[in-house]
Amino acid sequence: MNRLCDSMEPKVMDDDMLKLAVGEQGPQEEAGQLAKQEGILFKDVLSLQLDFRNILRIDNLWQFENLRKLQLDNNIIEKIEGLENLTHLVWLDLSFNNIETIEGLDTLVNLEDLSLFNNRISKIDSLDALIKLQVLSLGNNQIDNMMNIVYLRRFKCLRTLSLSGNPISEAEDYKMFICAYLPDLVYLDFRRIDDHTKELAEAKHQYSIDELKHRENLMQVRLQDERARQEELEKHKTAFVEHLNGSFLFDSMYAEDSEGNKLSYLPGVSELLEAYKDKFVIICVNIFEYGLKQQEKRKIELDTFSECVHEAIQENQEQGKCKIAQFEEKHLSSLSAIQEESELPNIEKMILECSADVSELFNELMMLEMQLVEQLEETINMFERNIVDMVGLFIENVQSLMAQCRDLENHHHEKLLEISISTLEKIVKGDLDEDLPDDLRAVPMCLACPCHSDFSLTISSWERPFFISFLENHCLWITRPIYQLFVDKDTIVNAVGASHDIHLLKIDNREDELVTRINSWCTRLVDKIHKDEIMRNRKRVKEINQYIDHMQSELDNLEYSDILD
Amino acid sequence: MEVLREKVEEEEEAEREEAAERAEWARTEKMMRPVEVRKEETTLTQEMLRDLEKKLSEIQIPISAELPAFTKDTIDISKLPVSYKTNTPKEEHLLQVADNFSRQYSHLCPDRVPLFLHPLNECEVPKFVSTTLRPTLMPYPELYNWDSCAQFVSDFLTMVPLPDPLKPPSHLYSSTTVLNYQKGNCFDFSTLLCSMLIGSGYDAYCVNGYGSLDLCHMDLTREVCPLTVKPKETVQKEEKVLPKKYTIRPPRDLCSRFEQEQEVKKQQEIRAQEKKQLREEEERLMEAEKAKPDALHGLRVHSWVLVLSGKREVPENFFIDAFTGHSYSTQDERFLGIESLWNHKNYWINMQDCWNCCKDLIFDLGDPVRWEYMLLGTDKSQLSLTEEDDSGINDEDDVENLGKEDEDKSFDMPHSWVEQIEISPEAFETRCPNGKKVIQYKRAKLEKWAPYLNSNGLVSRLTTYEDLECTNILEIKEWYQNREDMLELKHINKTTDLKTDYFKPGHPQALRVHSYKSMQPEMDRVIEFYEMARVDGLIKREETARTMTEYYQGRPDFLSYRHANFRPRVKKLALSSAESNPRPIVKITEQFFRNPAKPAEEDVAERVFLLAEERIQLRYHCRDDHITASKREFLRRTEVDSKGNKIIMTPDMCISFEVEPMEHTKKLLYQYEAMMHLKREEKLSRHQVWESELEVLEILKLREEEEAAHALTISIYDTKRNEKSKEYREAMERVMHEEHLRQVETQLDYLAPFLAQLPPGEKLTRWQAVRLKDECLSDFKQRLINKANLIQARFEKETQELQKKQQWYQENQVTLTPEDEDLYLSYCSQAMFRIRILEQRLNRHKELAPLKYLALEEKLYKDPRLGELQKIFA
Repeated sequence: MNRLCDSMEPKVMDDDMLKLAVGEQGPQEEAGQLAKQEGILFKDVLSLQLDFRNILRIDNLWQFENLRKLQLDNNIIEKIEGLENLTHLVWLDLSFNNIETIEGLDTLVNLEDLSLFNNRISKIDSLDALIKLQVLSLGNNQIDNMMNIVYLRRFKCLRTLSLSGNPISEAEDYKMFICAYLPDLVYLDFRRIDDHTKELAEAKHQYSIDELKHRENLMQVRLQDERARQEELEKHKTAFVEHLNGSFLFDSMYAEDSEGNKLSYLPGVSELLEAYKDKFVIICVNIFEYGLKQQEKRKIELDTFSECVHEAIQENQEQGKCKIAQFEEKHLSSLSAIQEESELPNIEKMILECSADVSELFNELMMLEMQLVEQLEETINMFERNIVDMVGLFIENVQSLMAQCRDLENHHHEKLLEISISTLEKIVKGDLDEDLPDDLRAVPMCLACPCHSDFSLTISSWERPFFISFLENHCLWITRPIYQLFVDKDTIVNAVGASHDIHLLKIDNREDELVTRINSWCTRLVDKIHKDEIMRNRKRVKEINQYIDHMQSELDNLEYSDILD
Repeated sequence: MEVLREKVEEEEEAEREEAAERAEWARTEKMMRPVEVRKEETTLTQEMLRDLEKKLSEIQIPISAELPAFTKDTIDISKLPVSYKTNTPKEEHLLQVADNFSRQYSHLCPDRVPLFLHPLNECEVPKFVSTTLRPTLMPYPELYNWDSCAQFVSDFLTMVPLPDPLKPPSHLYSSTTVLNYQKGNCFDFSTLLCSMLIGSGYDAYCVNGYGSLDLCHMDLTREVCPLTVKPKETVQKEEKVLPKKYTIRPPRDLCSRFEQEQEVKKQQEIRAQEKKQLREEEERLMEAEKAKPDALHGLRVHSWVLVLSGKREVPENFFIDAFTGHSYSTQDERFLGIESLWNHKNYWINMQDCWNCCKDLIFDLGDPVRWEYMLLGTDKSQLSLTEEDDSGINDEDDVENLGKEDEDKSFDMPHSWVEQIEISPEAFETRCPNGKKVIQYKRAKLEKWAPYLNSNGLVSRLTTYEDLECTNILEIKEWYQNREDMLELKHINKTTDLKTDYFKPGHPQALRVHSYKSMQPEMDRVIEFYEMARVDGLIKREETARTMTEYYQGRPDFLSYRHANFRPRVKKLALSSAESNPRPIVKITEQFFRNPAKPAEEDVAERVFLLAEERIQLRYHCRDDHITASKREFLRRTEVDSKGNKIIMTPDMCISFEVEPMEHTKKLLYQYEAMMHLKREEKLSRHQVWESELEVLEILKLREEEEAAHALTISIYDTKRNEKSKEYREAMERVMHEEHLRQVETQLDYLAPFLAQLPPGEKLTRWQAVRLKDECLSDFKQRLINKANLIQARFEKETQELQKKQQWYQENQVTLTPEDEDLYLSYCSQAMFRIRILEQRLNRHKELAPLKYLALEEKLYKDPRLGELQKIFA
């Protein structure tokens, strides 16, 4: 440390210090007297100056919630910390300290002006959260890598930058490089960048910048695509029919179904599967489209409802405002009449009249409110009935479509079973050779065992069990599963049945998910509407009461003052 | 179909009978009629005219008496083109056809008046009416639409009544002549208008028919002035919004329906009575206004223009009266009948009965039963499809009856004999004859002037009267044009004495409307502004003796309204009267629009500075979901506490009601700061009010000056009036002229004197050319040398003289008087100057002479007359 305060003890940022600073920097003169009288709350302070105080550690600032401007320059701070709560901060000065890394600024999203002049920073980073940054001062630091500049490209509002006194500013290309990479910059090292320099810089670094831009654009496009896809999915989710506009459900049915996959190698099954898939997907798409349509309908219904409710409330408010305006006019004139009146009995009489007016206003306002509550209740109930009906209808239709899916599955199951059994019979009979699909038959041929080339051709039917056991021993990893299935009828039936069960389960799960989700949505919606209405009602009643109380107390005050007079 | 057929047959029968009757009639008159017709054609001479004149003098027409007669004596026919004075063979043929047509017509319909087919033109040549129409599209975009066109015709021409109100005129002049003299009868009017309308694409026809007295005499005194008629406010039908699905039900109505009904009934009765009274009143008025019955009703010949629907997006047929330029529906009761109509292609006779004015007429010119056409085969609208059968049958009948098919079929209308209609820009601008026109309407008088005719820019004035006799002025409206102060309309209401000036955008003070009773300040007045042109966004400032109200819009501080109340001025000593003595302000009320950037409970909606009571009241905006708004009231009386210290702020100095109480607003510090802020604002507002007062004074002063000066602006494109541009243009022309002269000079022909020696018109031989060149060059060289010698000689002479003088001076130096010495010195300096100049000239000549010589050589080399030289060199 090469400063005057070097010899002094580091100070702690304690309550006394802060209070003193606040008091000194607060309002002056008359206002200052008032402030002293009342005391200033830390959270009302908007700007705070704590320079030349030999502070080592930032602390105790969490109370200054609304602070806009904080000056901590010329201290011996080594680490940026304790600023997490100051989210409204716009202006932060940490110059002339001993900071080594930029950190602890992630919550200061409103920061526009950051000064870290004369510190020991060697790398620009951890500033990602500062999207509004306009002025950045990093002079007299130890930044030595030009690539730090590229990091600053993400700050779209950055207009002023100072980097002089860093190792990089010695580089001959320093100015050009910055001008080229930060084209929106207006001031560099406290000087305005003229257009000529900008052009030159652009020309000089054009290729690298273009490349950079291209990369950035690609990234942007990818992000946008991702976002669009996400939005689309979100939309489908609100319609409760996500992933139904394709073969997703079908694929998921077969994803965990090993038997089914195996069985699909049987002769004729692949065609069957293809047809089955097509039909299934068509139904799924039907459900999907129906869901979207219903969602649109529900949305329109909800919109109409909220619009109507809004209109009703607005109208009611207008009436209320009108009533209050009338009352205030009358009230004002009667108040001035009271003030001009000199005889006490008359005054009392008039005050009584006034308070009668007030209570009448109260009655009127409350009547309006009660009327609105009744009307709204009726409407809300109607809406609830309609939306529940709508949801019920939707569920019913989806269920019937799902049932079609199940029928398809059953049908497919039967067919598959048939094929499987016939295949088994064939195997048992021994005329597998002709019927086995090519890929199955080809298996032994393509085996790596040189001793078994042309083996399958020589196997006769009586050798089958032996062959199988041979295969089990030698070529386990390919042929075993399918042949395992065709051991006897029970196995094959079980396998097909298991596959069928899995499929049905998947379909059921999807259906259940849809139904529960839409039901819960519906109940939540209705609950919210009811709750909102109740809240609104309470708020209005509170408001009316408050107003009436105020009016009444004003009258009472008048009474007292008159009596005192 | 059967019914139709029957009907047709019936009609046919009737027609046949009619035809028979006509034949009978014709037979009896056959001998006389043609002769008569011929007579009419040929002997429309002085005798007839004298007759007419006599008749005319007998008939008392108030207006015509004043108007100068428009006779052909005043027309100079010598300059008219040939087509005016003679007929082409085709036209002759057409006339024959027309005669034939007319004969047949009078033969068939002897009870109808003879047709108006070929009146004489200004050169006493019979011309067919259709050829008198000269369709012309005017070069002025203002004349593209029928309404402006008709207005122009009615403004441009002065109306002359028909010589005989019961007959069509014997002469029909060409539109060019009519335009020249700016006078004409109804036929001239409608011919001109029809030509212009057809030219701009309308399906327009000239109509020869019968009109009411008012119509024929262009008497508008029974008509309401169109300018006084207020545009009917189109009552926008409130669209019955279908109640939405979830619209809340209205609260139950607990009023007695019976009582309501009774009430409604009672009110209806009252209203009915009122209505009845009103109607009676109206009837009485109508009675009073009604014209005296006209003895010649239905017989007065008039001509107007018919525009048929179809072209130029005209939705339905209508009439235009060319005198007034107004349009009328074809049902109008002022049009009493139609004899015939024509356009530039054909001529139709109305065969329909006009007992019910023109109300029952059907303008389907393709229907030969209703409209008898003269020429066949013009591309006129065919009969509508539904009646096709009908027409076919009738067509045959007519053809048989008239027997004209054979000769007319291939004949079409010859081209118009009239020259192209031209209106000079000056005449177009001046519009009315002599630039002035007065029209008397019912309870109103409209005066029109040409722009720049009046020095104050007045172009029209409408005076509205209370009574029919036009004695009590109700209000005056004056329209101005080209005023430098952008004054557009001045409206004076005589009953309330309220004057209102309307301005176009561009006044230096951005005035829009200024209504006032007197130009004295601090009186009732309303000034409206073009708020976009003002920095402070002021829209309107209203003043009364004690208040001033300002309305604003679009300000960054969202101020919308400021109202100041004044107390009467305190009478001060005469000392202070010289300075401004503003009235003391009692109260300033300011209102603000909602500032969306601030939360509602911090956004002030209204603040009232009660200056007299030292109080400030604030009212805040109401939040969207609330019905009450926060309020705050500051007492800014400075008080002193018991110890003599100034009390800065106490809780009772600020009374506030908050909808949603907040912590920080309860603090005294906050309140103190708010109050300080308000104090500053109060000062500013007071200053603003004071400035507004000053501004009003300034505006009034400016207005007075403008009224006194009433300068007119002249467009820079107006080459005639704009003096500046005229001067500039003239200067430019002068410069151009001089430039031209100089150029001519520089192009002096060096060869001319040498060429003159040679025989003219012969081509030069090479030898000649070379000699010519050499001569020219040597001559030039000689001249250069001469010039050099001349300068040299002068130079020497001057030096010699100077030397002599110097010698003389040195000899007589001793005896010289100071005056002589001075003389000598001045001579010396002058001589030195001359010598120096001569020296310079000589030097320059020496420098330039070779160059000049070379330039001439070059020029001669390039001279086309010495082309021989070039050839050789090339």
